[in-house]
Amino acid sequence: MSPVVYAILFLVVAPIFGGFLAGVDRIVSARMQGRVGPPLLQPFYDVGKLLQKQARQVNPVVEPLLLGHVGFMAVTGALLLSGTDLIFIAFVFALAALLLVLAAGSVNSPYSFAGAERELVVLLASEPFFILMMASVCKVTGASTYAGVLASPQLVAVQLPGVLLAFLLVATIKLRKSPFDISISHHPHQELVSGLTTDMSGRLLAYVEVAHWYESALLCAFMVLLFNWSIPLGLLCFAIAYALEVLVDNSTSRAKWQLVLRSTWAATLLFSGGNVLALFLLGR
Amino acid sequence: MGALVAFLIAFPLLVGAVLLVVTRPSVRNPIVLVASAVIAVAAIATVVTFGNGDAIFFGLPGGVVPGYLLLAAEIAMTAFIVVVGLQHGRVLAPAMALAQLTIALFLEITGRMPEVDPQRLFWFDRLSMVMVLIIGLIGTLICVNAVGYMRDYHRASPMTKGRRNVFFSLLFVFLAGMFGLVVSNDLPMMLVFWEITTLCSFLLIGYTRTEETIGYAFKALNMNLLGGLGFGLAIALLANQPNGLDLAKLTAGPVSGTLLAAVALLAFAGITKSAQMPFSSWLIGAMYAPSPTSALLHSSTMVKAGVFLLLRLSPAMSGSTVGYLVTFVGLVTFLMVSLVAVTEQNTKKVLAYSTIGSLGLIVGCAGIGTPELAWVGVMIIIFHALAKGLMFLVVGTIENRLYTKDMENFDTLISRLPRVSVLALAGIAGMFIAPFGIVVAKWAAIKAFLLVPGGQGAAMIVIMAFGSSLTLFYWGKLLIKVLSMRSVSDYERSIESRISRYEWLTEGALAAGVIAVTASIGLISDKVVGPYALSAFASGPRTLPVIDPAMLVVMLAAVLFLPLVAVWASRRRYDEADFYTSGRSANSGHVMGAALGSSRSVSLRNYYLDGVINGALMFRVGTLACGGILAAMVVTGMVVR
Repeated sequence: MSPVVYAILFLVVAPIFGGFLAGVDRIVSARMQGRVGPPLLQPFYDVGKLLQKQARQVNPVVEPLLLGHVGFMAVTGALLLSGTDLIFIAFVFALAALLLVLAAGSVNSPYSFAGAERELVVLLASEPFFILMMASVCKVTGASTYAGVLASPQLVAVQLPGVLLAFLLVATIKLRKSPFDISISHHPHQELVSGLTTDMSGRLLAYVEVAHWYESALLCAFMVLLFNWSIPLGLLCFAIAYALEVLVDNSTSRAKWQLVLRSTWAATLLFSGGNVLALFLLGR
Repeated sequence: MGALVAFLIAFPLLVGAVLLVVTRPSVRNPIVLVASAVIAVAAIATVVTFGNGDAIFFGLPGGVVPGYLLLAAEIAMTAFIVVVGLQHGRVLAPAMALAQLTIALFLEITGRMPEVDPQRLFWFDRLSMVMVLIIGLIGTLICVNAVGYMRDYHRASPMTKGRRNVFFSLLFVFLAGMFGLVVSNDLPMMLVFWEITTLCSFLLIGYTRTEETIGYAFKALNMNLLGGLGFGLAIALLANQPNGLDLAKLTAGPVSGTLLAAVALLAFAGITKSAQMPFSSWLIGAMYAPSPTSALLHSSTMVKAGVFLLLRLSPAMSGSTVGYLVTFVGLVTFLMVSLVAVTEQNTKKVLAYSTIGSLGLIVGCAGIGTPELAWVGVMIIIFHALAKGLMFLVVGTIENRLYTKDMENFDTLISRLPRVSVLALAGIAGMFIAPFGIVVAKWAAIKAFLLVPGGQGAAMIVIMAFGSSLTLFYWGKLLIKVLSMRSVSDYERSIESRISRYEWLTEGALAAGVIAVTASIGLISDKVVGPYALSAFASGPRTLPVIDPAMLVVMLAAVLFLPLVAVWASRRRYDEADFYTSGRSANSGHVMGAALGSSRSVSLRNYYLDGVINGALMFRVGTLACGGILAAMVVTGMVVR
């Protein structure tokens, strides 16, 4: 298949995947809390309803920035699958995430602003990992594209156990799971109200949701990079990792940003950095 | 070619001399404008004459050798430094200047100075071409901008108004020094131009003559003279070598022995001039000068001279321990100043740290010495010159309007100065927005560092990963401030209309340049930077980074996105739709209702990571670490060879 087909496939399939994932997440979380939970398709119903509602525009920059957020998030995935350089992807991914920060930061509300600042902190916390991960995947396989890594005879995860470990930690941030969900909250009675999304309503909130679906799909695609022997294996590992995240989410409370930054950087430096050092010293 | 190059050097000097005696703005301004246009045209003419071929060597028309003229210039500059230094009770600067002159005189008098080949005085290749264009176009735009800026500047601080003639004169002398530096092949001649830039920046930084700026001026002078001393020693070491003082022959390929010692000393000089740690503090001090000075020092001159020399030396350092140590000075500087920058609230200082960091990346690339990394280095030079020049000029314009450099006071800029915001956003996008210019360079650098064997390679990758993320953080904070909105009064809206047309013209041109260069990055890579990188290195891997069409499209989209959002938003009415405040009453002035009917004001301050990152400590740690690495570099060059 040509790269364009992969790109279009991602643009179409990723939000469906992300939406279902969110649905499963809510059911599993509910069962852990002894509830029945919503129907599997609830996230889609939610977004559909949000799109029909009136959006209150707090200022005229929020909407274009959020559209940019969804757009660049989708493009990141499309580029990834269509064979753009992996390290470059790490930078585009960061830009996509930054646009959400800017949208929330442009609102003068204390809650949105606090959410934006905290999101910037978690970006700072997670970005080194993604650069290191992409760099080390390239180093192990000698390839620099998604297809190249999948075609490599090396099983990446075996050589990058440290990176895999750090991935689990950093994924907690990207999936907005407790204890690292410092910038946004699904429980409006908490200290941050709803953080980043406090002043977003109607279709604006729908953009954020859809962007998050794309982001979840991207993380899954990243996981496949580590288990490059077969895509089903990668998906299975992602499912296991996701289940762990949900468990952690339901059994921890939110950390302070200082702890998030320190722990993520320490883990990235120790596990990923150590792993990269070992790779270079062993001369791969 | 010889005549054109001589013109590029002599004409700005002449303009500088004329401007020194012109005190009336009505006469000065036209001279500055016409001279800038002439210089820009001459720079383009030089490049067109060169025609983008392989390196050429040439002399002055008629085979003239500047011999004693150089020595006379050196004596004059030393005398000036001694007099000014002693006037201000400084000993160190005069001592270093005298030491350097002593070396030169000793070589001259004892007849150790080798004969100069009159046909190899100048060296013009694609790297010189890039530099001549940067100096000739961006440098002159900054001069034109200064016409508008200085008028407003002295309205706010009238003390030194009478010395504006000196200021404009220095700008042009600076350009002359830079032109000379980037086309020199004869090292003693290059050193004279090197010292001209040192002296000009000393005088420009100390322009306002307050105690503070004089202190920073001498700091800059001391550090750069130390580098100049290293340069002088390198000349002394090379004087009796078979290839003499010919830079092109010295840097034709990897060197060893005495040559490597000389290369290490020259690299030391390059590191001082490009403000790498432990010599970063002089460039931070330079922030107290008027903004065109900062723009000139940071974007098209001075610091670019340092990295230019290091890129020239790159093939000679290739694969040596000296080269690796140079790389680590650059990368550790990049990481440490990025850590400092996230804790800094003064916008000009954030820009300064970001400059030092970007230069650190170039130094890091130059040290390794492969075509791929030379490509990266030149790309960063181009993008950084454009984007940083623009940023400093824009921040200068904002400062003259809002009387603040504090990042926190840049909030709601898009409402208050909508058109300036568009330019600022283009500048920020140029500096860092993910897939553009410098980020392309970071990307290519990481890919190239992957090929560096052993623990060094791993350390480089880890530094790049953390350093890049830090840049995201401090630019993100500035963006949040610029992009926030509120309703503004008619008075506030009128502020923007008082910005001079010189500033609009130059900043607009630079913003357009940022976008044009992004769009043509593939062309620049194929026609100029790529061929340069391949021809500079006789051996080594022949690979260059490839920018595919998808990347190009994303890059353009990313660089245009924020300025377009700003244009779009500024045309829309902003009606105070009140934001969520948890049931408390609030207004856009951020006074919120509190307990018992009282009210409290709320301020939204960015995170500076207090308690997690200690900026001052990071600066000290970086200075110590890089000082150690630098000492090891010089010792390795001199002793281990």
